[in-house]
Amino acid sequence: MTQTQVASSEIAIHATGLKKTFKDPERGAIEAVKSIDMDCRRGEIFGLLGPNGAGKTTTLRMLSTILAPTAGTARIDGVDVTEDPLEVRRRIGFLSGSTGLYPRLTGRETLRYFGELHGLEGALLEAAIDKTIADFDLSDFVDGHCGSLSTGQKQRVSIARAVVHDPPVLILDEPTTGLDIMASSDMIEFIESRRAAGRCVLFSTHILSEAERLCDRIGVVYSGRMLASGSLDELRAMTDAEWLEDVFRALVRRADADRDRAGASA
Amino acid sequence: MEGFRDRQTLIYTFVLPVCMYPALGWIMIQGLLIVQGQNSARDVTVGLVAPAELAPEATQAISARPEDEASGGRVEVLPLDLPPDADAAALRSALEEYDAVVALPGLPGGPKKVRVLFDSTRSRSGTARDRIEASLERWAEVLRGRAAEERAIDPRALDPIDVSSESVAEESDQANVVLSLLLPMLLVFMSVLGAFFPAVDLTAGEKERRCAETTMLLPVPMTAVHLGKILAVCASAMIATTLNLAALALSAGHLIDQLSAAADRSIALELPVGALVKILPLAVLFAFFVSAALTGFASLAASFKEGQALLGPVQMLFILPAMTAQLPGLALDSTTAFIPVVNVALAFRGLLVGDVNALPLALCAGALLLLALAAIWLSVRLRSNEKVALSGETLSLGSLVGLLRSK
Repeated sequence: MTQTQVASSEIAIHATGLKKTFKDPERGAIEAVKSIDMDCRRGEIFGLLGPNGAGKTTTLRMLSTILAPTAGTARIDGVDVTEDPLEVRRRIGFLSGSTGLYPRLTGRETLRYFGELHGLEGALLEAAIDKTIADFDLSDFVDGHCGSLSTGQKQRVSIARAVVHDPPVLILDEPTTGLDIMASSDMIEFIESRRAAGRCVLFSTHILSEAERLCDRIGVVYSGRMLASGSLDELRAMTDAEWLEDVFRALVRRADADRDRAGASA
Repeated sequence: MEGFRDRQTLIYTFVLPVCMYPALGWIMIQGLLIVQGQNSARDVTVGLVAPAELAPEATQAISARPEDEASGGRVEVLPLDLPPDADAAALRSALEEYDAVVALPGLPGGPKKVRVLFDSTRSRSGTARDRIEASLERWAEVLRGRAAEERAIDPRALDPIDVSSESVAEESDQANVVLSLLLPMLLVFMSVLGAFFPAVDLTAGEKERRCAETTMLLPVPMTAVHLGKILAVCASAMIATTLNLAALALSAGHLIDQLSAAADRSIALELPVGALVKILPLAVLFAFFVSAALTGFASLAASFKEGQALLGPVQMLFILPAMTAQLPGLALDSTTAFIPVVNVALAFRGLLVGDVNALPLALCAGALLLLALAAIWLSVRLRSNEKVALSGETLSLGSLVGLLRSK
């Protein structure tokens, strides 16, 4: 694994030995995430790349304090996710397919609700709401109930909800899954705009072209482990492969071979 | 606010109960009046066994209908070919063809036992019995008057002992006793129904709408979120109960007028506002208990529909004990004060009639407080469980202990 040395103040997300085990009455202990180490910097887009079931969503849920890690540590903007989860939540914007909107609130009420709970009030709150509505072009439907909005409109309100408090870290779980071409394009533009604003964006995907286009650095996750992370060029150098798809395959094959060897020697 | 914008929750929690009690009361009374009217209007046939010299007068007396029931059904009296001292088997056999059979033993002149045979399983036979007894009472009055006249004495002298029973209880007290049997059960029902749909909506409904994870991202302690939900459910239960009581009070006058007319006597029934105020602290504790328990259990479900199905049997844990508490002879004491739900229903009953001791009442309040706290703990503990919060499938009640033990 290649890690460029950077000043700790530049690190927005830092995770070491992150592990999550679920207990299932029928299947026993399930290690969804075995060991994840990662650093994401400010002004950087970091992509978690991996197949379904690799542990991407569980990792992001631990970083956003929705799940408590079984072992390991993670710090968001310098705050430990286990020691001060409330402060971590104040410093992140999180978006996934499971973070739906309250269907009986209007878009504006949603923004106000989240803005207030993130500590905004008075003129500051109103300014933040107005700016968010303008940034995401919500004015035509922001006063309608979220339940009555189209998929694309819901997606824009969801993004607005996640960033109304202008968090330094944005965590997105497969943000373009299920979106049409226009909505997907809007999402990619939004992610790039956050990087331009100096924010850290961590997102998971299994779409290679998306990772290739957007990410400054990529972490390849497979079977609950981080196989490698670095810029695309660094990953190419590690695997002697040109295309990201080949890079991914090479890393997965290497991991499978290592596991087989470990199994045989045991 | 989000929960209160759900039309289904509003209808089931507030609108339906408010309309339900007056509508049910009205339907029941109309039904009662219709049944009474049908009973009153139908004709009955009575077989008469009497000495020949007595039969004409007996026939006339039994078939006569009082003037104030001119529109009622007729009583047709037909003589039976049986001796006046016919045995019971013969009379019972005759009853197969008649609604009732009257056997007169002989001429009037001394106390004689008149036998009226009827079949209590046949509604028409019961009606015939009622009419015969009323007719015989009127005939006895006539015979008494005639005998007194023959002897030139006051008819009242033939009834040396005139028994008259009257209750010293005020009408309002009698009404309180009736209410004390009904209201405790209704209060429990109202609280449970008022909490039911908000509890499902704020837990299983939230998961179904994919908002549970959104709520978990709020930068506030999750315990505060869970307590807020229980508070919202409790507020719904109390508002629904208050609206239900108001609907009952508003419709009571009209319903009581109809009941009074049906019973042919004045019935004074008013909601005892003073007693209800005394009930309030216990009702609030009970609402917290119910709300926390229902919210906790509903958290196991993954969708609104499954939440409803899950809480169906759970709500019976409240309703059945409340019904049991209506058993005669059961009162709030140092033992029953510790039986969940039964204690609060008995306390409501005691407070409504003003017949409750301070010690059992205090024990009941203490037990209820502990139960409410335990239910809140259970609910918060369950909702703090990652599996409960994020599971995409409904968890069984059997997994409850395991879920409470794990994080």
